[in-house]
Amino acid sequence: MMQVEVWFEQIEFLAIASIVIILAYLALEHRNIVYAALFFGFMASFVAGIFLLLEAPFIAGMQIAVYTGGISALIIFAVLLIPRAQDSSLEAFASPRRRRIGLMLSGSVGLLSGGLALVFPWYDTFAPDMPPLELNLELLSQWLWSEHVIYVQMAALILLVSIVGAIAILKMDKAERLIPIQGEFGIESVEEPIDDVATIEEPSEEVGDE
Amino acid sequence: MRLFIDFVPVLIWAVLAVVMVVGMLVASWVLRPHVLQNSEKTSSYECGEEPIGPARISYPYNYLVYTILFVVVDVMGAFLWLLAASSFRLSEIVVWQVLVFVLIIMGGMGFAMKNMPETFLSGQETLTLYRKAKAEQASKEIESGGH
Amino acid sequence: MIPLSWYLVLSFILIALGAYGMMVKRNLIRILIGAEIMGNGVNIALVAVSIYSPAFSFVGQGLIILVISVAAAHTALAMVLMLMYHRRYGTVDLGTPISLEDTENV
Repeated sequence: MMQVEVWFEQIEFLAIASIVIILAYLALEHRNIVYAALFFGFMASFVAGIFLLLEAPFIAGMQIAVYTGGISALIIFAVLLIPRAQDSSLEAFASPRRRRIGLMLSGSVGLLSGGLALVFPWYDTFAPDMPPLELNLELLSQWLWSEHVIYVQMAALILLVSIVGAIAILKMDKAERLIPIQGEFGIESVEEPIDDVATIEEPSEEVGDE
Repeated sequence: MRLFIDFVPVLIWAVLAVVMVVGMLVASWVLRPHVLQNSEKTSSYECGEEPIGPARISYPYNYLVYTILFVVVDVMGAFLWLLAASSFRLSEIVVWQVLVFVLIIMGGMGFAMKNMPETFLSGQETLTLYRKAKAEQASKEIESGGH
Repeated sequence: MIPLSWYLVLSFILIALGAYGMMVKRNLIRILIGAEIMGNGVNIALVAVSIYSPAFSFVGQGLIILVISVAAAHTALAMVLMLMYHRRYGTVDLGTPISLEDTENV
């Protein structure tokens, strides 16, 4: 009875982990970048399944809400705003030699961190299996909102700074258009008229004919 | 595991959603006539208007600001959801903390709403760059393949 | 029961995949996707270690909540920076040589 449950759980973990690894590989290697963003969203939702296996339900929900809902939407929007990035015929891929070197380096990164973590002496102090289920949302909420509520305010400040920074970076391009001129009283700056459309020459439709 | 069992209905629901979408796509592919593939038939129908130009148009950049605002509200909702699952959410000090938390984020949203018209940049030059790169690519292909 | 080492192996595989993407790819969007995959691997490792540790506390999970919210903020800023890179240099490809001189009229 118990043995069957243990096997079932391990099979579940192996299935979810293999799906996560395959989706992560596809998100990096798929030639169409819209599909790559889509596979990244799927990978984030399957990582939420890993968090459910770890019995951390709130982390799973937040993973789905922020990664699957927010960050993959950001990536898809950025792809949408840059039509050049959607066209996979314009994308340059790395040469096989560079790819091999990258594979070796990343493999050594994984092996080194894995070796350090699994051979390290503190690994023996951990229990071989999971402690009994005693956590729930109530205790986590009490930890975060009642005892360490300053962290929440710091997160709010970081989000505020990200909004203000995004607006400031988008406005910075307009500020750089102030060109200095030699005026009557020294160097002045005069605002150039904003005409995105008018200053750009029309694209030449004909390509090099034979 | 003990927790994962509770979420099995969610899993079944997700599988049902995926199966329904894929089934509808396959059914429309099966029922669709596969003859008469000329340009009149395959062009998109826009209420009688003839579509002009490529489908990859360039949007103004300040659509990204709306997405950033969505992500910020998403994170705020996650924090408030954690609080809503607790039993002490109506104690006095927690109410004040929530008020400060929401006011900070709403200040950022107000700043964004106030400054949004000034960040307007039309996406025209993006489209121009795209067309230029595409023409370069095509000319390069013609040069390399012509000999 | 699933041993802790399985979760750690999964997280190291994800970290190695993300590092591969960040080292090999030339497109800025793909580099960002690689960074997010690395972040997911680190999240899995932190949650697993904090749940399996003998002195159980909520430090790990609370830390992960803050890490996810900060990840949302920095991804938003990275997207805006990438848009401005594209607006100035006309490409999102890091391998393209750019010249610093004729960027003023782009």
